[in-house]
Amino acid sequence: MASWQRGLWLFFLPSFGLLAVVLLWPLGYAIFLSFFDYYLGSGERTFVGFANYIDLLTEARLWNSMWTTIIIAFGSVAVEFVVGFALALALYRLHSSAKIFSVLLFLPHIVTPVVAALFLKWMLASNWGFVDATLLTFNIEPPDWLGSPVWAKVSVILADAWVFTPLVMMVLYAALQGLDTTLIEAAQIDGASSWNTLRHVIVPALIPAIIFVISIRLMDVFRFFDLIYVLTGGGPGTATETITIYTYQLGFRMLEVGKASALGVITLIVVAMLLLTINRSLNKAYRGGDR
Amino acid sequence: MSAQSHLGRQRTTWLIFIGMCVFTFINLTPLIWAVLTSLKDPRDAFTIPPTIIFEPTLKYHIQVWTENDFVFYLMNSLIISAGTVLISVPAGSLAAYALSRIPRRSSGPILTALFTIRMFPHMLLAIPFFVMGTFLNMIDTYPLLILALVAINQPFTIWLMHGFFLEIPRDLDEAAAIDGCSNWQAFRIVILPLARPGMTVAALFSLLLSYNEFLFALVLTGTDTKTLPVAIASFGGEDISSWSLSAAGAIGIMLPIVVVMLLLQRHLVRGLTAGAVKG
Repeated sequence: MASWQRGLWLFFLPSFGLLAVVLLWPLGYAIFLSFFDYYLGSGERTFVGFANYIDLLTEARLWNSMWTTIIIAFGSVAVEFVVGFALALALYRLHSSAKIFSVLLFLPHIVTPVVAALFLKWMLASNWGFVDATLLTFNIEPPDWLGSPVWAKVSVILADAWVFTPLVMMVLYAALQGLDTTLIEAAQIDGASSWNTLRHVIVPALIPAIIFVISIRLMDVFRFFDLIYVLTGGGPGTATETITIYTYQLGFRMLEVGKASALGVITLIVVAMLLLTINRSLNKAYRGGDR
Repeated sequence: MSAQSHLGRQRTTWLIFIGMCVFTFINLTPLIWAVLTSLKDPRDAFTIPPTIIFEPTLKYHIQVWTENDFVFYLMNSLIISAGTVLISVPAGSLAAYALSRIPRRSSGPILTALFTIRMFPHMLLAIPFFVMGTFLNMIDTYPLLILALVAINQPFTIWLMHGFFLEIPRDLDEAAAIDGCSNWQAFRIVILPLARPGMTVAALFSLLLSYNEFLFALVLTGTDTKTLPVAIASFGGEDISSWSLSAAGAIGIMLPIVVVMLLLQRHLVRGLTAGAVKG
């Protein structure tokens, strides 16, 4: 059996070979590039050490985009979690009609993100968009959804929530269905109110799923590109310019691929640190709060 | 439970039901609005209040697929998605099978590593692909985009297939091994037929992922290989004068996905949560 087990390692070859060529090598190359002043337009490449990193970290635009990313990330994940959890509980309660609702509610998530962004853009288009046209009918002066710095951020958060709440809902709903119902029944028989059952029985049991879905969403928001690119393109000005959009501008518009790579590496480090902190604090809050 | 509290529960359930109906409807307005727009003549599209009742026309749906290059973009999308699936799913399935059969202490770290790869910003991958593509003169070719999509697809495929293989009892391989089958024979003759439904699901998910992908398609394609999402983004994002036409295009892009999703319905949660429920 031992040799049979060893033979299994050969099965990894095609996949790991592929990953090495199309994933690890490019990533290594990007890290390598991040130490060069490299303008792709002229093809001139000079080694500059950490200069790209220092440049970026002392630059107002980077910190601006970092803040924008954090606001959008936490704003949208908060909305998605609250709404998604409420929907999951509602589905759980409805069980017989839950299926049709879950399919309909899931639609925004499976639509091509670019197409979803266009749908929302048409909703929010000034004057003729559905939202504005409706508000104007009642003589309410609508805000400039995508044109004012504050409303553009709100619109991006809501757009992200529209696309990703279904995912959060589905993950939590699946986790709810996996719960041991005797626990919930026992709590009800003991006379616990719905709120107490939710807080002391359901939520603690769902912690792994909650950590999972929040982590996934946070790391995706940090790299998410399609929605903002189509909806605002980072504008007005740089009001909705996230790190990802800024990296795109640097790398593919200004062709400063060295600096853009450095920004990519910084993003990776930020996301990794963020996830570690969140996992640790959520784990602690759950374990500490329960005892 | 007393009769009264039972009635109370019933009433709450009804309230939740009505609330869900309202929410679902509001949530779907952008979609409904896009469908309506795609069936409208411009004189109905630009009105205050918004026109709900009008004479629908399929003119724009026909026009977008006949007079523009959308059929060409669709072909590009299909070639690239199919290429990605054909490379990603077989390779990923082999790895996932091995992963489900080796001891947990070896498979655990590999699964964690695959999960970590998910965290990498796609931008960090797009830049080197773009630079290398420029060097090798491969920008605007199918293979470059396919390879990039395989890179982001592979961890997901392995993860998903791993779950499916875990459900196939190990006794089957062990019996095959005792009968003298090599690893490959056991996999091909015993396991593969049982794993076929799982592979179909993985293939459909990978297909969706590649069909929907935007960033790599945006930076690695050009006039010859442009995919549907890139085309519709530049077409519908700019001005709203050709509103009905872009809406028709967007709806057209969406339809095949809805069909695939209905096929996948039973596996949807699993595809998205591979890991959430199973840890």
